[in-house]
Amino acid sequence: MQGAEILLQPGVFPRLLQGLWVTVWIAGVSVGLSIPVGLLTGWLMTLNNRVVKVIMRVYLDFIRIMPQLALLFLAYYGFARWFDWNLDATGACVLVFVLWGGAELGDLVRGALVSIPEVQFESSYVLGLNAWQTFSRVILPQALRRLLPASVNLATRIVKTTSLAVLLGVVEVIKVGQQIIDANRFQYPSGTLWIYGVIFFMYFIVCWPLSIVARRLEKRWAND
Amino acid sequence: MTEQPALSVSNLTKQYANADHPVLDDISFTVPKGKVFVVVGPSGSGKSTLLRTIAGLEPIQGGTIALDGEVIETGRPDSAKAGRSRRSSALRTRIGMVFQSYDLFPNKTVLGNITLAPTLVQKRDRAEAEREAVKLLERVGLADRKDAWPHELSGGQRQRVAICRALILHPEVLLFDEVTAALDPEMVREVLDVMLGLAKSGQTMMIVTHEMNFARAIADHVILLDGGHIVEESDDAHAFFTNPNTERAQQFLRTFEFE
Repeated sequence: MQGAEILLQPGVFPRLLQGLWVTVWIAGVSVGLSIPVGLLTGWLMTLNNRVVKVIMRVYLDFIRIMPQLALLFLAYYGFARWFDWNLDATGACVLVFVLWGGAELGDLVRGALVSIPEVQFESSYVLGLNAWQTFSRVILPQALRRLLPASVNLATRIVKTTSLAVLLGVVEVIKVGQQIIDANRFQYPSGTLWIYGVIFFMYFIVCWPLSIVARRLEKRWAND
Repeated sequence: MTEQPALSVSNLTKQYANADHPVLDDISFTVPKGKVFVVVGPSGSGKSTLLRTIAGLEPIQGGTIALDGEVIETGRPDSAKAGRSRRSSALRTRIGMVFQSYDLFPNKTVLGNITLAPTLVQKRDRAEAEREAVKLLERVGLADRKDAWPHELSGGQRQRVAICRALILHPEVLLFDEVTAALDPEMVREVLDVMLGLAKSGQTMMIVTHEMNFARAIADHVILLDGGHIVEESDDAHAFFTNPNTERAQQFLRTFEFE
């Protein structure tokens, strides 16, 4: 148990929790904003308009090909330079994660929408439902069920990727961990593993409930 | 004929964008009010396409479709790639359609499926729509399943619910597109019985089917469609099915016999 005492040092746990809160905040806001962006982009991707299709294709491919880290640096340093807009590090993270989450979720939404059988649209048409009623009452509820498992997976990926925020200087849970380790290097030389172990469990505790909820809902909707 | 026909189709032509010849070529007929009009024919003869053009699901390139004397669809030669007809919601509710694949809305219960359109499109009171839905379900023998989800029902039960879903809008014409073709054999009867009941009650229907015995029993008027043309038509279903006039009809009906 060598080095475990580092965890009992006053202030260590509260600081780690503060860092965790920053992580959860960035991830939560990013996921929350990704949902409307993803629904919109997913809907746009299903349109039969060539211009819209090309734009969405470029958007999706660009976001997918670029490493998230490169996007973060682009947003953080690029915006200040090109638009004279000083986006702070947290803002740059949220912007990048929303663009990324929105693109990925959009692709999931598109997949779910096109997987709905044509007869669902035709039944709605024959019953007199207009386009919006068909989308909101018939198609979207079915699509949401189909894309739930993959989108929860995406949300956990966003939570984990927030660790890149360190490189923009955001003091989130990993940065806090490093600070604690550095400050106690001489007193607890083997505290490193303990701190990272706690961080590991913190990520686990954030992401695990997401997969439980997803599994529950999936089971409940499985028969449709 | 003194009475206005429920549905009249004149010179209807339907051609897909890249096809050499039309799927439906200059088709004309009328469906009188309260009668059952049956369409038979081999696969690919255009039967389903005919129903789909009447329902507005496919554009037509020539001719007209009239509902209760009012022209609702006029063919346009350049419409081959157009999507579904832009007819109004109110007009669409006047022509009901039941499809071959017995897909209800999986995200709604039986009652939810039936009451969706009357409450949303016709703006009817929910309680009143539910009362009528239950009455219709009683008629098809499914009143006890009103709160069930579609996945809990058999194919035949789903198809009967689909019929209720169409009936609650009080359509002037109800179209049936091979509604038993995808069902297990033992489910077919329960659906056909419901349709026979509807015919007795005076519902105007247009039925595409491969069930020849059923067609003979229910039809007031029958046409044989082949290659996009009406090959034979008859007001006497019994005569048509026992002793058709044309050789094509004899040949077609022979394919259903085994000796």
